[in-house]
Amino acid sequence: MSVMLTKFESKSNRVKGLAFHPTQPLLAASLHNGSVQLWNYRMGVLVDRFEEHEGPVRAVAIHPTRALLATGGDDYKIKVWDIRPQNRRCLFTLHGHLDYVRTVQFHHEMPWILSASDDQTIRIWNSTSRQCIAVLTGHSHYVMSAQFHPKEDLIVSASMDQTVRVWDISGLRKGSPNTGGPGSSNQSGPGSFETFDSFSTVKHVLEGHDRGVNYAMFHPTLPLIISAADDRAIKIWRMSETKAWEVDSCRGHFNNVSSALFHPKHELIVSCGEDKTVRVWDLAKRSSIQTFRREHDRFWVLASHPNLNLFAAGHDNGLIVFKLERERPAFSVHQDTLYYVRDKYVRQYDFNTGADIGLLSVRKFGSPYVPPRTLSYNPAERAVILTISSDNGLYELTNLPQQAQGELKDSSVDGKKGNGQSAIFVARNRFAVLNKTSQLIEVRDLSNTVVKSIKAPVQTNEIFYGGTACLILSSPTSVVLYDIQQQKTIAEINSPPVKYAVWSNDSSLVALMSKHTIIITNKNFSQHSIIHETIRIKSGAWDDAGVFIYSTLNHIKYCLAQGDHGVICTLDNPVYLTRIKGKTVHCLDRSARPRTITFDPTEYRFKLALLKNNYEEMLYIIKTSTLLGQSIIAYLQQKGFPEIALHFVQDTNTRFELAIECGNLDVAMETARTINRPECWNRLAQQALKQGNHKVVEKAYQQTKSFDKLSFLYLATGSTDKLSKMQKIADARGDPMSRFHNALYAGDVASRIAVLRDVGLHPLAYLTAKTNGLDDVAAEILEAAGLTEDDIDDVPMYETSTIKPPPVITTSTDLLWPSLSTGESFFDRALANGQLEGGAEPAYTNGDAAGSALDAWAKEEEEGEELNPDEEGWELDGDAGEFQPAEEEDDTLEELGAGATPGPEETELWARNSGLAVDHVAAGSFENAMQLLNRQFGIVNFELLKPLFLSIYRASHTYVTTLASLPPLKLHVRRSPADAPPNRLRPVAVKTLQAIRSELSEGYRFVSGNKLVDAATVFRSVLKSLLLVVLSSDDEAALWRETVTAAREYLLGVSIELERRRLVEEEPDNVQRSLELAAYFTQCELQPPHLQIALRSAINAFTKANNHAHAARFAKRLLELKPDPKIAAMAQQRIQAGNRNPRNAIEILYDEFTPFEICAASYTPIYKGSPAVHCPYTDAAYLPQYKGTLDPLLQLTEIGASASGLPAAW
Amino acid sequence: MADLYHTKQRFYLGAYKSIVESPLPDESSSEYQAVLTYKARSYLALNDPKSALKLLPEGTENAGLKAVGSLARYLASEGSGDTEAALEELRDLAVEIEGDDVEGTEEDKALVRVLAATAFARAGEVEEALETLGSETEDLEAVAVIVQIYLSINRPDLAKKQFDRSKNWAEDDLLLQLIESNIGLVTGKDNYSNTYSFYTEQIGNPTLVSPHLLTARGITRILRGDVQESKSDLEESLAQQPDDVETQAAYVVAAELGALKRPEADELWSKFASQHPTHPMVVDLNGKSDLFDQCAANFPLPPAASTVSA
Repeated sequence: MSVMLTKFESKSNRVKGLAFHPTQPLLAASLHNGSVQLWNYRMGVLVDRFEEHEGPVRAVAIHPTRALLATGGDDYKIKVWDIRPQNRRCLFTLHGHLDYVRTVQFHHEMPWILSASDDQTIRIWNSTSRQCIAVLTGHSHYVMSAQFHPKEDLIVSASMDQTVRVWDISGLRKGSPNTGGPGSSNQSGPGSFETFDSFSTVKHVLEGHDRGVNYAMFHPTLPLIISAADDRAIKIWRMSETKAWEVDSCRGHFNNVSSALFHPKHELIVSCGEDKTVRVWDLAKRSSIQTFRREHDRFWVLASHPNLNLFAAGHDNGLIVFKLERERPAFSVHQDTLYYVRDKYVRQYDFNTGADIGLLSVRKFGSPYVPPRTLSYNPAERAVILTISSDNGLYELTNLPQQAQGELKDSSVDGKKGNGQSAIFVARNRFAVLNKTSQLIEVRDLSNTVVKSIKAPVQTNEIFYGGTACLILSSPTSVVLYDIQQQKTIAEINSPPVKYAVWSNDSSLVALMSKHTIIITNKNFSQHSIIHETIRIKSGAWDDAGVFIYSTLNHIKYCLAQGDHGVICTLDNPVYLTRIKGKTVHCLDRSARPRTITFDPTEYRFKLALLKNNYEEMLYIIKTSTLLGQSIIAYLQQKGFPEIALHFVQDTNTRFELAIECGNLDVAMETARTINRPECWNRLAQQALKQGNHKVVEKAYQQTKSFDKLSFLYLATGSTDKLSKMQKIADARGDPMSRFHNALYAGDVASRIAVLRDVGLHPLAYLTAKTNGLDDVAAEILEAAGLTEDDIDDVPMYETSTIKPPPVITTSTDLLWPSLSTGESFFDRALANGQLEGGAEPAYTNGDAAGSALDAWAKEEEEGEELNPDEEGWELDGDAGEFQPAEEEDDTLEELGAGATPGPEETELWARNSGLAVDHVAAGSFENAMQLLNRQFGIVNFELLKPLFLSIYRASHTYVTTLASLPPLKLHVRRSPADAPPNRLRPVAVKTLQAIRSELSEGYRFVSGNKLVDAATVFRSVLKSLLLVVLSSDDEAALWRETVTAAREYLLGVSIELERRRLVEEEPDNVQRSLELAAYFTQCELQPPHLQIALRSAINAFTKANNHAHAARFAKRLLELKPDPKIAAMAQQRIQAGNRNPRNAIEILYDEFTPFEICAASYTPIYKGSPAVHCPYTDAAYLPQYKGTLDPLLQLTEIGASASGLPAAW
Repeated sequence: MADLYHTKQRFYLGAYKSIVESPLPDESSSEYQAVLTYKARSYLALNDPKSALKLLPEGTENAGLKAVGSLARYLASEGSGDTEAALEELRDLAVEIEGDDVEGTEEDKALVRVLAATAFARAGEVEEALETLGSETEDLEAVAVIVQIYLSINRPDLAKKQFDRSKNWAEDDLLLQLIESNIGLVTGKDNYSNTYSFYTEQIGNPTLVSPHLLTARGITRILRGDVQESKSDLEESLAQQPDDVETQAAYVVAAELGALKRPEADELWSKFASQHPTHPMVVDLNGKSDLFDQCAANFPLPPAASTVSA
């Protein structure tokens, strides 16, 4: 017996009475100030208080099976309380005692309450009838305690008259004479005690104490009684059927002994007294084993837990709850076998078969009252080292027999012993022993000879196996990884004192457990994460997937390597985890018996899969498990997987929310039906509208009876028949406004007139009829109004209206518009298919000895780590995990007020959401825009684009002053204003392809009008604008390319023609070149009318130069274009002239029969097959020598630079 | 009563000119001081601090009027760069009103906070502005300023929260609608419908004429993508107040977005930029122009191709 392990302490007024709850971690304490407290000693919280007694409360008891509490006080009253939180109250009060009530107790099976009082009586009350059924008289002084026998119909009482009495109450049970007996009990005064005497008799009177006796109780199983008295002695009495006698006394207290108890399990006595001590005695030897002293607190009362190794003692300033010995069994796991110690026997338990056999007795090892503290197993030698804390720390090394023999070997036979507080195997033939006082770690061989002695580098309290030739040293502030051979510290992690270390099955990770923290680290301590627990951590073991499962006082929890942790199940009593296999937790309970707990690993498997992006596994879990609950949904939502969360939710409201969030209209529809509330339908309608699913919109509108919206929807979708139905409905509803609406939408003039007439708007009706040419009707209205045409000649006449509802071009009633992509996920697809791709259950065979699967896991893990070593940084993750809650708090704290941090600029969102250069321009991130343009189109000369850039930027932002004197708000013009979610925001499309194409047409007009300089300017501008246009589809992209090519060809053509004109002007002699240019112009891809112009100009030039053959060729080409007759005639002429005179006066570089491109720099042909380089943007061709120069056509790009082309950003 | 009500309404809806042009009520009137305050603030809104100062009675002890004066001095000093003195005055006032011995009603104190915060916000001291107003305020004008500040630092979420909170205690006031509309301007919720209908409604209000509303609706229409409609709003507004900078600025944007032809748009812009060099849009654009040059310089020009003509 080394320590009194204090579990809980409270500070309060003097504690006079204590009672444990039999099943829950509750303790009732009655105080000298009149209050009764109910503590949860495990959580350390005050659960309840009962304050109705006046004056000190000395007696308290909790019912063994029901939620009842009995208290007795100096106000002579006994009160019975219901302690269930929902209806806690005083049920009734028993009146009768005439002086202080000292103790109360519930009978274990009868509805009886026993009480002892200073009025010298002991009373038994029936708690059903709430009446006193017996009064035991005989004591001649205060009765200090009275206790039922745990089985027999006996009572033992202690009194200030220095006697202990045993009472026989069997008569009470048999006769139960006056349960509820009228009159006798209630009306009996103090004088009528005799009435009850026939039912109870004094069986024994135990005399021997020299002073008043404070407490007496029966032994739970043996015919023994213990008593504690003011003569400072504890006496043990034996009794038989006929007599009782004193067996022995325990002396040692040097002041009044307040209480003495038999230990419920062991042969021990626990006592406490006013000498401020709690003492433990050996029942057999009557010798003191241990004394716990308090400085100032006199002890008044002791209570033992009915089932557990737990005691409570009340003193002057509160109470303490304590254990007398460590419950944690010493154990060690090797593969599928558990080696552990129970009742001082080393045992072996097979996880697979459940076989549990004793191997070795360690009864003679250390103090008989103390169980061994640790066990280290050496599979190579089949040896164990045990340590024990008695005798200032001992270790013993023993070999285990191969199998259980009849008579178990005792370790003392051949065990090798020594002093040390901590001892473990560090290699197959070496073990290390820590001596705490000298701080020496000795490494010994199997013959117990020291081979090496190491001075601990830090104050070490405990050592653990640290991997090959390494030790883990636990110091008060850190944990050290120490290399024995090199005798040096490898790494150190700051930590509260580590009490246990558990290695993962593949020895890659180790969990270091302290009272309230777990550090998970890799084998060289280079990365770690920390988990904090408010509840005491008891034990832990590794799941084969690398998840650490640990137990606290009241939970089994899991923890992923990155620090994410959660609860697996709750525990009534602490257990010590030994091994996790699949869904089974193997553990030892408090009495060191192997147990298994089956749990659902789904949650952490799921999170693990989510972490590893293992969708197959996640999907498998979704489909096969019943993983539910707000936490996982919140978790998924928080991690950005609403669509996955959807699969878990059954609560319709949540389902609806999630479905809307991830745009799953089917589910939203289905749930909206169930919920059937207008808000839901409205939201559904909104979302469906966004996605263009007008059928859902329609249904939603129908549900909410939004007739106006419905009508408009029908108008928009062009469903005329439904519109006419709406008209009928409006009729039926008698709503003229709606009727009018629908008539208007349907283009039904007659109905409109009818409505107007019905509501008495005759003038309007008349005019409507009139303007729609329905003169008959108009006349009819006029007549009905009693007027004639003459009466209204001051009314102006209107033309017949031509306004009609727009005709339906595409009936989209049955079409769904191009709907918003709902981002079909892996899950949607797979769940829709009804099966997994691949189909099979992923190999997750945790612990089922499937080595390959485990290897796969391990490998996967390693790979994962290799892939992003930085992100996996445990420390970071660990910290993040830890501080997350704090951050959340910050969020809520920040809320409003000063210190609000600025949010992201909308322009940042724009830039983030788009890969189009133009969007970056609008966002003002010119640098990105330029880089994009450079990468996509090889643009290098940006100066020319500056006006465009600035104009686009200018167009994308506007300012508005909303409050006096405050600076205006900068607002950002969005592309599609209806798109609100930030991840879809993009800037307004300043340049549209359509607008640019109309600009191009303007260029064409300039060409036709022979304003070539203007035309060139326009084409250049078009080509620049095309760089910064917003495209939204493949079709648009094709059109874009077409436009670029067209503009480039025209620009090239116009440039050639301009060059020719310059040449004609400036170098009239260079006819050859000017003819060549004229010929090349005709080779540009122009539209027929413009090509005609080119050809005609060429014909003229060539004719003039007497190159008739060439002129004829051009004329033929001109004819192919079917020009108008006059031109055709001219062409014919030229052809004939060419036929007559098929010669060319001037040789030119022009071979029209070989396809060629025209170099846009030199205006010379590059015939097919010859090398050429291109402009990365317009694809204009250049002779190879121009590679790397600025393109002369647009002056924007570097010729021949590589470019990625248009990004498909839609 | 009606006079003050209308003044207030016109003030919130930006019809500062009409307030400035209206005569003050009789000095003995109970509304005199309030109307005077609004008139002075209207001068400030029109960026005419001198007139505002002239209007203010000398040596007043009223905290609200003193704050108006300080703000006026702040605005007047903005050009010169020495704004600290005026800011200090406002800081002192904001501290003083926490004491008891200050002349002025609760409204005056609220006004002091609003005006101080306005100056702080102008000076870029966002945190100080928010602190001055406090997040628990039950003054709607303060809420409006808070919301505006949140919006200006891109926190529409907080703006919304503050607005939702104020709905718990505030009447359905014009100002409340304005706040909501302002939030809508930034979030663009439901295609700016809230803002759009707010301005449309107020334009239809027969009791006041404020071209500012037309401008605001024009801007909303720009945001909604209705450029042609916006053009007509802005032109109508310009017809009533040709010199209004804000309208001109908005008109520039509308022009860029296709309301006008390219050369006209360019001309409009250069005119605007030269006339209002301190308008945030011009300042911003000048910054962007510099940025452009800087970024463009990162790309070295290849040699020019020696073409036929060269």
